[in-house]
Amino acid sequence: MSPGPLPLVAEGVGFRYLGADRPALAGIDFRLPAGAVLLVVGPSGSGKSTLARAIAGLVPRDVPGTWSGSLRVGELETASAGRTQIAARVGLLFQDPGSQLVMDRAADDVAFGLENRGWALEAMRDAVPGALRDAGLAGFERRRGSRLSGGEQQRLALAGVMAPSPAVIALDEPTANLDVAGATALFERLAATKALGNTTMVLVEHRADLAWPLADLVLALDRTGTPIDLGPPGLVLARSRDRLVSEGIWLPGDAPDAGGESRPGMLEVEDDGPFLVDARDVRFAYEPGRPVVRDVHLVIRAGERVALVGPNGSGKSTLLRLIAGLLRPSAGAVRLDGHDPARLRPSLLAGLVGYVFQDPELGFIEDTVAAEVGLGLSGGAATAGLMDRLGLPLQTFGGRNPYRLSGGEQRRLSLATALARRPRLLVLDEPTFGQDRRGWESIAEIVDEVTDAGTAVLVATHDEAFAARVATRRIEMAEGWIVADDRGAVAEREPRSGTA
Amino acid sequence: MLSPVDLSAGQEGSLLNRTSPLVKLGLALIWLIGLALIQDPIRPLTLAVVAVAAGLTLGRIPPRRLIRSLVPLGAAAISIALANLLFAAANTDPAAHELLRVGPLRLTREAAEAAAALGTRVIAIVSTGVVFAQTTDPTRLVDALVQQARMPERFAYGALAAYQAVPRLGQDLATLRQARRVRGLARSWHPRLLVGLLVRSIRHADQLALAMDARAFGSGPRTAFRPLRWRWMDLVVGVGGVTILGAMLIR
Repeated sequence: MSPGPLPLVAEGVGFRYLGADRPALAGIDFRLPAGAVLLVVGPSGSGKSTLARAIAGLVPRDVPGTWSGSLRVGELETASAGRTQIAARVGLLFQDPGSQLVMDRAADDVAFGLENRGWALEAMRDAVPGALRDAGLAGFERRRGSRLSGGEQQRLALAGVMAPSPAVIALDEPTANLDVAGATALFERLAATKALGNTTMVLVEHRADLAWPLADLVLALDRTGTPIDLGPPGLVLARSRDRLVSEGIWLPGDAPDAGGESRPGMLEVEDDGPFLVDARDVRFAYEPGRPVVRDVHLVIRAGERVALVGPNGSGKSTLLRLIAGLLRPSAGAVRLDGHDPARLRPSLLAGLVGYVFQDPELGFIEDTVAAEVGLGLSGGAATAGLMDRLGLPLQTFGGRNPYRLSGGEQRRLSLATALARRPRLLVLDEPTFGQDRRGWESIAEIVDEVTDAGTAVLVATHDEAFAARVATRRIEMAEGWIVADDRGAVAEREPRSGTA
Repeated sequence: MLSPVDLSAGQEGSLLNRTSPLVKLGLALIWLIGLALIQDPIRPLTLAVVAVAAGLTLGRIPPRRLIRSLVPLGAAAISIALANLLFAAANTDPAAHELLRVGPLRLTREAAEAAAALGTRVIAIVSTGVVFAQTTDPTRLVDALVQQARMPERFAYGALAAYQAVPRLGQDLATLRQARRVRGLARSWHPRLLVGLLVRSIRHADQLALAMDARAFGSGPRTAFRPLRWRWMDLVVGVGGVTILGAMLIR
């Protein structure tokens, strides 16, 4: 049933989205032998996802725009091939694990792609358990996709993509929403897939330490979707390292403590300063009997920088919401600057807390960027400066609709709205998801600035490098408990392993 | 309430759960038509009791779970009946039989009868719906619609996938409301929430459509991983159900 791995060839591939003022991709050339792995790297907006979708035939078929050049899977031209022909050869794994699971149960979801390709029942019954086993999910047949962790969901999606034995698979930032454990487990499966040699792989990924060792060939793109370099990983690193760094591309060995040692002028937190956050014996459950936060005891002083780390589902986001007065604890008490934040009038709460949600789009309220950042403020002068620094000058961006911004721009706008009222506490939920090196640095710099001005920062993150870079205190959560807290031991921090 | 019902192992093995969802759907349909034809409050109530009893025995629905899903809907039915009792036009009709007068409030027998008929009918519909939902896996329902009722699969599986995404939209709504609060807006319920929710559902739908497309959905003839066949049990449940309904409706 499987054609075996096929080579992938790009000649002068370019694509311009309808209405865009410049191409998303331009002049892409490569020859990827059957069974090899191509890693595509580049800053935000460099057209990496567009390339992945073009390989799966979704661009230009489902997306209006102008296509040029030739992209071939074996002998098949992806831009003009029929859906059935492409589907028989190519699989595509997306970034967001939740949105690509179609069926309720794991086995049904894996079988979904086989049913669509018209497989016989017996063949499906053979293939499904094997695909689950290869994804590290043996025995998960009857489990519900919606109840799995993000990492398990992504491996389930991988099983669904691999079950029909595609000749080529494209993976579009498959670990962007995963914690370190989930990302590592996924890459173990990808390495096993590569070792079998049945599939040619195109991998778009910014976790450099995981992705580069797997690659046979690296294609680096710049901000305009034009190639910087193409070659074996060692060669690309040797001849283009400076260029890649200046484009904001993550490289292997970058992540832990990237620039983490230099934090000049950092405010020393006084040990006897007043508590800004004082949470005692806080418990919370969305459903009775299933606590998400358990007996948490946490005090934070003005100007402190606290990183909250821990796997998916350990209760980090819920604890942030309890402290910011967005949820009311089931038991225990939270005090924010002496008030119960859950009972505080919204107008007062907004002056105390600035909150950046994990998904910035969910935080937008107004129709224009200017109205969004000016919400609840009288004068506009201060926000204009803030917006300039975040690369969203109001002259250009003020009239745009927040929902129409790119992901990175949305994240920065969200940060601006959180900072506009000069809050006492800045809460960030996974601020570095999917950020290139430049976006990552600008967020870290803003954290430096606001804490120097006395604002406390509480950031939940999977990104250990970011935690090490911005925080003076690291709190670890697991299954709702706080399991470690180095309580402001700034000087003796040990270097930590783990990657962005 | 909108998330997929979690069927226990006992429920999954029960007679009602193994019956084709189409048979159950057909019985529910006859039920609804029958309800439209009758006026008295007794027969709908009897039918509701029959439905609940069938759900408990033939469907092996845990009683506590059944009560938990019936109570809010039952309360809604009673409040509908109450509103109809208080605000019925018959109350101001001088020819109607007065039951009670408290100050300006006058209740008549005609209004009470109409309200009781309405309330019991809502209860009958609600209990049928709950028993159906508690004995039917959504995936199996869609499989049956496609394989046994020849519904277009593109529509059916698309709708199923959208249904699985509903809980996610609920989480989005909660976050949108929290965002309003932390930005200083006094009212966390506001028509503007619809804009955010609409944008989100379009995004989810887009991603889902792309993911289904990438997995060859709609690219050609489709086979079934969970084949369904008509069985004797379907006939027995169908005929039995029609007989009971017929006997009660015609009486």
